[in-house]
Amino acid sequence: MTIVVASLLFAGAIAVRGIPPAKSVAPQDVKEEGPRILEPMQFLAKGAILRAGELDAWVAKDRRERFKALRTQLFTLRDCPNLLDWLGKLDGQRLERMITELRGGRREEALASLTLIFQLARATEWKPAVMSSARQAPAVRLGGLLEDWLRTWGDKGARDPLLSEPTVAATLFYAHVMRIAQQSPILGQLDEPLQRARTFLNEELAAGQSKRSALGEIVQSSHSAAMSRFLGTDDPLQGFSADAVTLFPDITGACP
Amino acid sequence: MSTEPRTNEHSASTGILAGGLLAAIGGVLLGVQIDQNGSWSGTGWASFSIGALLALGATIVRTRAEGRLPRNTLGIFAVVASFLALAFLLSGVLAPGGSWMFFEMFVIVAVVVLKRQPSSEARWVGYGALGLLVAMLCFRLWITYQGSENRWAVTTIPIPIVSWIPFSFLDPIKSISLGSFTPHELGFPPAGLSFGPTLTLWSFGFALCVAGLLIVQISAREHENDRIHALIQTLPPPLAVFVERIVPEEEWYALGLHGLPERRLARHIESVVADRMARQKGLRAAIDAGRMLSSPSTDGFTNGIHRAIVDPESGSANS
Repeated sequence: MTIVVASLLFAGAIAVRGIPPAKSVAPQDVKEEGPRILEPMQFLAKGAILRAGELDAWVAKDRRERFKALRTQLFTLRDCPNLLDWLGKLDGQRLERMITELRGGRREEALASLTLIFQLARATEWKPAVMSSARQAPAVRLGGLLEDWLRTWGDKGARDPLLSEPTVAATLFYAHVMRIAQQSPILGQLDEPLQRARTFLNEELAAGQSKRSALGEIVQSSHSAAMSRFLGTDDPLQGFSADAVTLFPDITGACP
Repeated sequence: MSTEPRTNEHSASTGILAGGLLAAIGGVLLGVQIDQNGSWSGTGWASFSIGALLALGATIVRTRAEGRLPRNTLGIFAVVASFLALAFLLSGVLAPGGSWMFFEMFVIVAVVVLKRQPSSEARWVGYGALGLLVAMLCFRLWITYQGSENRWAVTTIPIPIVSWIPFSFLDPIKSISLGSFTPHELGFPPAGLSFGPTLTLWSFGFALCVAGLLIVQISAREHENDRIHALIQTLPPPLAVFVERIVPEEEWYALGLHGLPERRLARHIESVVADRMARQKGLRAAIDAGRMLSSPSTDGFTNGIHRAIVDPESGSANS
């Protein structure tokens, strides 16, 4: 009897070597009936202004007009105002409310919400200025907007064919923004933005756990070096930040 | 009489079976890895095939040198278990692919496969070779760790001065990488390797395989001794005791009694007994006929030898 058990175990020991590794792939786009949004990353990229109008049709009727007006205003914003200052104005407050409303809607509206956040980052100044009193505040505020979006859509978005790539991009960009906030002092670094980002990303990616979240799996497959860096102790946000700069070289947070 | 309960003594066959089970469980643990997403996968056939090939080489060299074959089901199981345990061990310590694997192969061929064990040793792998396998396992774990951290070299040495300058455009020339390798060479799953859990699996697997191999080998030797003992016990009891005194159990392996079929085993024991009795008689005749015992000397060494021949028990007691 023991010989049989041992022989079966030996056979098993040889057989397990052939178990294929799990393929880590992003969710595939499905053939949906009716119109759908193609290439969602274009709404976050530099040329978003060329396609942003397409989003109007996907926003619920009761907020479509308000969205259209705010979108037009944000995509034509000039003079690169300070992010905190602009959000404190009437239009800025409206925009924040719209971002929150859209975030709670359908997936297309979630994409519209993220488009507004990225355009806000592109059109305003949030990089710490030399003569500012709370140098990290604008970057932390922008990070907060991204954090709220990721908290709602992070894991859900990673499983969604439409939002998969934008969710990963938002994760990288969030790390980039928080790293800039971390490095805001002229001398030294701020610990608070780093700890906040680290705690949040750990939770969203399930990075240190044996089983990653859906978002963690996709980030691991497409940005493995950055993920390894994140798990280390030496400048953990650096890898994600570098990948975000590669994706969005035009979003610097500084006025030209 | 003692009233303490006696612990049950396990037979050699139990040892062989337990060792086989340990080696099999170790083989399972050495054959799997866990990726960064927590999914399980196999370590692949390539390194196992190389390990099996090397283990086969070691088995053939060993069998050819000894000319012994297992004579019953348990003996055959012990050989198969030893072969598989050795194959698991070797494939567990080899780098899974690339030039490192071939370099390690040559080292194993030289130290494990072609190495002749002393004739008194029944083990396939000596402690020296075992030490080498542990070192190779540590090397494999190190490169696996490096790979799991996305560092694709055995080590990276920072260049003094240049590495201290905080300009990112100097990054490509700030350090030198030694012994580079690729994820493909390491057989990594697409999601990367989770080092901690995999290290635990492989270390336990290695330890179980080593323990299993040693237990099987020692138990197989005891099992063969039991077989020879059983044959001697077919003689009348006083004769059996005498034969076991003149051919003690400790010498059975070295005398080539292991692995012989029963008929040849009986002949071999007969010839060993005859040879030893002839030698014994020759010695007695030399003692009785010679003059060496009639000339005591004052020399301490000579006296000692004299006493050892005349009264060997008192001589051994003094020593």
